[in-house]
Formats: sequence, C-alpha cells, structure tokens
Amino acid sequence: MMMPPSTARRLCFLSLLLLLLLLAAAASATADAAAAEEFTEELLLRPLPDRKALAHFHFRSSAPPASAAGRHHHLFPKAISQLVQKFHISELELSFTQGRWNYEQWGGYDPMSTNNAKPPGVELWAIFDLPLAEIDATWKNLTHTLSGLFCASINFLESSTAFSAPRWGFKLNEGNLRYGALPREAVCTENLTPWLKLLPCRDKAGIASLLYRPSVYKGYYHSQKLKLKSSQSLGIILDQTLTVVLQPNTVSGKQLHSTGGQLQPSWSMEHLFSKKLSGKCLVSKSSRVFVEIEKGIVDNVDKAGSDVSSNNDLFVLSTAPDRSLKELDNLEVQSSSLYEYDVNNYNSDKPLNVGITWKLPLIWSCTRAPYHASRFLMGSGNERGSIAMSFLSTGLDKQLVDSSNDCSIKAVVFQVVPWYVKVYYHSLEVFIDGNSKAISEVVDKIHVTPSEDKLLPGTMEMLLKFPCSMQLATLTLDFDKGFLHIDEYPPDANQGFDIPSALVSFPEFNSSRSYPEADPLFVSPLLENFKEDGVVKSYTEVLLVPLTTPDFSMPYNVITFTCTVLALYFGSLLNALRRRIGEEERGLKKAALVRELQFALLQSQSQMLRWSTIYFFCWI
Amino acid sequence: MICRFNYRHMANTLSLYRTVKRLGIPDERIILMLADDMACNPRNNYPAQVFNNENHQLNLYGDNVEVDYRGYEVTVENFLRVLTGRHESAVPRSKRLLSDEGSHILLYMTGHGGDEFLKFQDNEELQSHDLADAVKQMKEKHRFKELLIMVDTCQAATLFSQLQSPGVLAIGSSMKGENSYSHHLDSDIGVSVVDRFTFHTLAFFEKLNMYSNASLNSLFNSYDPSMLLSTAYYRMDLYKRALNEVPVTNFFGSVMKTIHTDSAYTGFLAAHDAELPLSVGNNILDHVMLQNEASARRSNIEEMNVSFSKFCISFI
Repeated sequence: MMMPPSTARRLCFLSLLLLLLLLAAAASATADAAAAEEFTEELLLRPLPDRKALAHFHFRSSAPPASAAGRHHHLFPKAISQLVQKFHISELELSFTQGRWNYEQWGGYDPMSTNNAKPPGVELWAIFDLPLAEIDATWKNLTHTLSGLFCASINFLESSTAFSAPRWGFKLNEGNLRYGALPREAVCTENLTPWLKLLPCRDKAGIASLLYRPSVYKGYYHSQKLKLKSSQSLGIILDQTLTVVLQPNTVSGKQLHSTGGQLQPSWSMEHLFSKKLSGKCLVSKSSRVFVEIEKGIVDNVDKAGSDVSSNNDLFVLSTAPDRSLKELDNLEVQSSSLYEYDVNNYNSDKPLNVGITWKLPLIWSCTRAPYHASRFLMGSGNERGSIAMSFLSTGLDKQLVDSSNDCSIKAVVFQVVPWYVKVYYHSLEVFIDGNSKAISEVVDKIHVTPSEDKLLPGTMEMLLKFPCSMQLATLTLDFDKGFLHIDEYPPDANQGFDIPSALVSFPEFNSSRSYPEADPLFVSPLLENFKEDGVVKSYTEVLLVPLTTPDFSMPYNVITFTCTVLALYFGSLLNALRRRIGEEERGLKKAALVRELQFALLQSQSQMLRWSTIYFFCWI
Repeated sequence: MICRFNYRHMANTLSLYRTVKRLGIPDERIILMLADDMACNPRNNYPAQVFNNENHQLNLYGDNVEVDYRGYEVTVENFLRVLTGRHESAVPRSKRLLSDEGSHILLYMTGHGGDEFLKFQDNEELQSHDLADAVKQMKEKHRFKELLIMVDTCQAATLFSQLQSPGVLAIGSSMKGENSYSHHLDSDIGVSVVDRFTFHTLAFFEKLNMYSNASLNSLFNSYDPSMLLSTAYYRMDLYKRALNEVPVTNFFGSVMKTIHTDSAYTGFLAAHDAELPLSVGNNILDHVMLQNEASARRSNIEEMNVSFSKFCISFI
C-alpha cells in the first residue's frame, strides 16, 4: 500500500534524525575511545652500597571509566576489573615478599624503600566503597577470590581473627579500610605466574621477558606487589611492581684495586638475569629502562671534581643513555640522577644490555629514615613475655631539622597482635636514652582495639613525639600467652606463632622527589610514583612467639588406654557371670560317659555281626 | 595431584603434572595440591627449581606452574571437599573440581602411607574407607564417568581396597606388607629425588606424544617388579572396559582433534530455506559421528558432548 506523502516526509525526517543521532553516538564513541586503555612498562636498576644490585620492574595498566568503554578490555586484565566491580574496591594493595629489606644498607628515605619495602609474607589491605556493615563479608569473599587468582593461601585472612580495621595508624580512613598480613606465607613461581598473566605481553616480550625465575628467587629480597586505584572519574589504574635485590654473579667481584680498596662488582643486565632485553612489548605505550645513581655516589663524583655524566672518573655505563634526569632536593642541590634508555630503539638484532663498570672503589651510604625501628621479644617461659620496640636515631634529624629545645619528631606506630598473645596495654612503658618517661610526655595519641579471645586481634595505633636530641627510645608492652584449642594448632606447632610486622611512619618526613628540569612531555609512571607525596615508612621484624603446645599424641593414648581397660573389665565381668563352678568337669564327665556308651554299643554291634556271619557260614 | 612432604614426593607430583600438561590438559583442569614449599625453600640450593633426576636436565617447576592448594591448606578436609564438590560459597572456581558425568578424572596421590591410610601433613590421615565414601558420593552426584586412581606410597594397594563404585580403576605402587622405594639419591641436593614407581611411569610417558595410541594395558604391564622392588597392583573389577582398548590419553592427556578446512561455514547460508538446514545439519552431525567412530582414541569426551549438543541446538 502506498503511504501518503506527508507520512513519507515525516518518516524521512525521522530517519534522518536517527542517522544524525547515530553519527553523534559514533563520534562520541570514538572520542571516548581516545581515552583508551594504556600499558607502560619500566625497569629501574640501581647499584647498592653493599655490592648488590636492585632491580625494580614497574608495569602500569589503566582502564578508562566503565561507562565510557563498557565491559570490553583489550589490554587491561579482565579479572582485575571484575574484581573491582564485584567488590566495590576503591584502593587495594597486595604484596608477596620474601626476605627483609635492609634499611641500614639499602636506604629508608627514598620512594623506593617507602613504597616497596614490604613485610615478609603476604600483606593485603583494601578500601571499599560500601556501607560499613557490608565490608567484613566483602573482605571475606575478596580474600577467597585473591587466593584463587594468585595461588596463595590468602583465604586464611577471611576470619575476623586475622584482619583489623585501623583508623589512622595505617592510612587515614573512615572505617572502610581492612588490613591483614600472613607473615609465614611462602612466595614462589606459582605466585609470579598469575601475576605475569595479568600483563598484556605476559613474560613473552618486553621487560617482563627478563624475569629468569631462578635469578629472581635467588635474590636477597624479592617483593611483588599489585596496587590498584579505582574511581568513577579516572577509571582503574593497576600498578604491578616487582622489586628484587640481587647479587650479580660476576667474576670481577673480588678484585682488589690498585688503591688498596675492593672494587665493586661491575654488572650488567645479563649478569643479573642471564638475558638481554630484545625489544619492547608491542602494545605498550612506552617502555623504558632507568639506571639510578644515588645521592651518595653523586656526591662522591662531585668531590672527585668530575661532571656527573654517564662516563666519569668513578663509573661508566655500558651504553650511552637517551636521556638523563637530575633530581633536585629542596635546597636546589643535585641529589640523585637517572639515566633513561628507551627500549623502542632496541630489538632482537641489537638487544639492550645496560651495565655499569666501576673504575674506582667507592664507599657510600643511602639516606635513612630518622629512626631505625626494630622490635624484639623479652622474657622467657610459656606463660608471659614482653614486646619491645626500639627507635635508634640515625642522625638524619641532625641534618634536616634544627635542634632547638622544643623540636620534636613525630612517629606513628601501627601494630596488630593475634589474640593468643594477650597484650596488657596499661603496661606500656617508655624509656628515652635509658630514662623512664611518663606516657603523657611521649605518647600524643593512642587508639587501642583490645583483642578478644578467638574473635579479634589486638590493634594498637600510637602517635609518639620524640625530642630531636634523643639517641635511643624503647617501648615495652607485657603480654600473657593464651591457650589454643587442639584443632587450632598448625601441623608444625612447635615452631611457634608469628606476630606480623609493625609499621612505623614519620609523618613529618616526605619521601617524594622532584625532577624540575624534566621535559613536561616526558610522562613516566615510575617517576610519577616518585614524585607523589609519601610519608617515610619502615616495617619492623616479624616476631616468633613460642606457645605452649599440648602433647598431640594424648588423644590416641587416651583412646587406647581406655579401650584396654574397658576390654579387660567387660571381658572379665562376662567371663565371671557366664561361668558355673564345676560345670566344666561335669560336662567333661558326661561327655566321657556318652563316649563310653557309644563305644560299648559299637563293640557289641560289631560282635553280634561277627557271630552272625560265623553262624551263617557254619550253617552253609 | 596430591603431594606430601619430602622432596621426592614433590618431584613425583610435579613430574606427573608436567607430563599431563604436555599431553594437553590445561591448568584450569588440573588441581595441584603441594603440602610443602620445596622450590623456594631456603634449604634448596637451586631456588625455584625442582628436579626429578640427578642430571638436573629438567626443571619441573618451570615458569608456568599454578598450585591450587599449598602449605597448610592441604588437609584431608579440603581434599574430600574437592572430590565431592562441597565447598563454601566463597571458594573460587580454580580451587574446585568442575567435572560432570562425562569426565575422565585422574587422581594421583603420593607421600607416606601404610595399611589403609595416607598421611597428610604429619598430623592426620586419609583412610581407605573415607576415600571410598568420597568416590561413592562422586558417583551419586555424577561427578565422573571414569576415574583412575594412582597411588605411590608404601602399601599403596590397601588405600583403594574399600572402593565399590563402578567405573573406577586403581593402581598402587605396592601391595600390603610391601614398601615403595625411592629411585636414586641426588648427592648435590642431598635427598632422593624421585620414587621408583613414578620414575617408571614417567619413563613410559616420555616416549609418548599427544596422539599416541598406547593403552592402559601397556602402561600397567610396563611395571617390572624387579625394577620397582615392589609389586604394582591394579584393581580392575569395577572397570567395565577392557584395558587394552583404553588409550592412556583418556586420563593423562586431552586430545582435541582439529580439522583444518578452507570451505565456508555453510550453516548460516541456508537459513531461509526450510529444507536445507536439516540436511546440512544432518551432514554435519554425520561428520561428527564419523569422526567419533573413526578415531580409536576419543578426545576429551566432555568437549565432544558439548560440541555435539551445540550443533544440535543451532539447527533445530
């Protein structure tokens, strides 16, 4: 049927409008596609004062907000975006660490040690964007999902005895942060495998292809970390970092120099990882290798009178860098320097093998945090003990803060103690330079969540104020050791139980760095992390507390013993009840009589038979 | 795959894990339970490496290992939960045995064992009747079509003496009263690195690839009591098929036969013709059936069933 012309025109107009709308939508879609997913990879190498080398891998994947791109990802790992959406996570950090960060030798003031020195085992914290009542249940599901994703026993953090909710001691929050740590969790290839599978190029191409597993796990410290931040406006940013401290296996490590000192080992990427870098990951936006020369070395180079370039009197880098960046401290003095190599310029025919060759023996030190915090146990026996925390001044405060009389240094201490180590918070004592001080003089603010047996661990957050002239401060807390139910003991109960590391942070000290002369177009996520404001933090040691253990063979002993006693008792009882005196003898006699009669009968029968046959034959 | 405690038990399990992956089973279909961390143990001189031979030629730990249950999580409770599928709701998919009534399951256990038990973590045991009950539950819940249980412990055959469910085949490295022995000592690492039964099993599989026709019968006959120093005993009274007809890749591998074709996919072309889809559908169904009959080795039966039903649904 033909349509009337007015309707036809209306239809035409509508279809045109629809077309315009579609075009507009397409245009906006392409505009949104401009805010696409990105992936960058970076590697930072740094020589350490104790003849070791630090390698820090940094991978960043970012996804734009979900409304723009929908649920389709081409670079960003879908597992992570599903995790963020399902559990309403706004921030999460999960780290797997083996080894202890050596704050004396490797520094405690720079962004590397602040962000990447983690406590041994697994540490997980997360901030949720949910009403407070739902967070504990979501945390439980999150720990299970992460345990399946990363092949680790993170699900042990699900019960309320394993995690805590600090308010300001760890990170300032409104009660939606949960923190848990498993100090005894092993870290091995099976944790690295799924972590690498989140990267677009896995470990097949790019910087991640350097990760030769035996090298990584032979190191003195290795820590793999996953940090994600999610917001409605910025989307999801996922930072994966792997920090390894290795001993380069070089022959020249022990040479004595003509000046009498021992030369540092000259190493290269091939010495560290047994491979060279043959190209970048093709989907990465940028791929860079940095070599960081610390302030201590730069000062030495300046003293030697030469210019801080990649080839000077003290050391030479094996390849000429593409760029060098100078970090300036707040006095506008050059502090450390970074040499950058763009992996784009290298491929499998011309692989990149960055290395450093030392010309003169050198001794330098890394900047340390104002106090070296350490923790240890006191007391003996299986009934009670004490936790002691000591703060030893490293001399930094002398350089940075003026030592007038009312100068003080703030320190925040955050400690979680499992419920079976029952801490008496009223027994807190503070000693400064050997003299006992009143708590009110030193402790500015303290927030304690006492432990409940089998329900909650004990959480302590303290803000301390130390006088600048102090050399050593010690805090002690007494505790009683609790009893566990036999099912709660792990199979190796006699090893002891762990108290996770405490975190000590210094809010007045900022570990950020600035590179003012850097090209504003030079965007590097690693440098962005360095430039971020961050307080100086350090983790203390993990404490091993021996608890009383029961005799685990007792249930078996009790069952065996009881069964034996019962068997003997009932056996003899039944025997005694059933037996009649003399019945046996009578029984025997009767049996004998019966047998005799039977025999006699048989005898007579056989005799009769004999006589009858004889008569028969006679008769015949 | 369950491993308990000594270096050689870890090496046993990882060797079989590697074999099974090489023959085609992907990580998402494997549940690996390792009770102790040997590879990154501070006492291991070769970090992130586990060897099953003193020539150190093969690093079993490799680059791509995924362990689902490790350390304190390897308990009898978790093992029985995996078998029966009775997990808490929060347990992720990678830690569950997602099998159905068409699945062929291989269960390999190694460690310290004895008369009717297998030791877990030094403080508990899995007993033979527990295992038999779990298998019975699995059968009731249609969680497997065929199950092969392989046990490498002392007195291994006693562990499956209580089984009664049909469709189960079991082989143990030694009989009641016999011990199973380790194969050789690696003086560099300082411990024995593999057990005899597993060593000979691996020697059998190293000669195979994914498309081999070797049958279970040849595997079971390859065990020589004089080399094992024990009698490998197998129990086939519950298993209906003849062992010489069952290829080993039914349990140890996953064979997907892919047919490369350059012809266009004809399914959608005949969408508007009422008669053609049926014939086309029939053709494809027949094609699939022919493939089924023609190949002696059946690929992963689950996969075949699914693809068969997929075709069915699309053409009805």
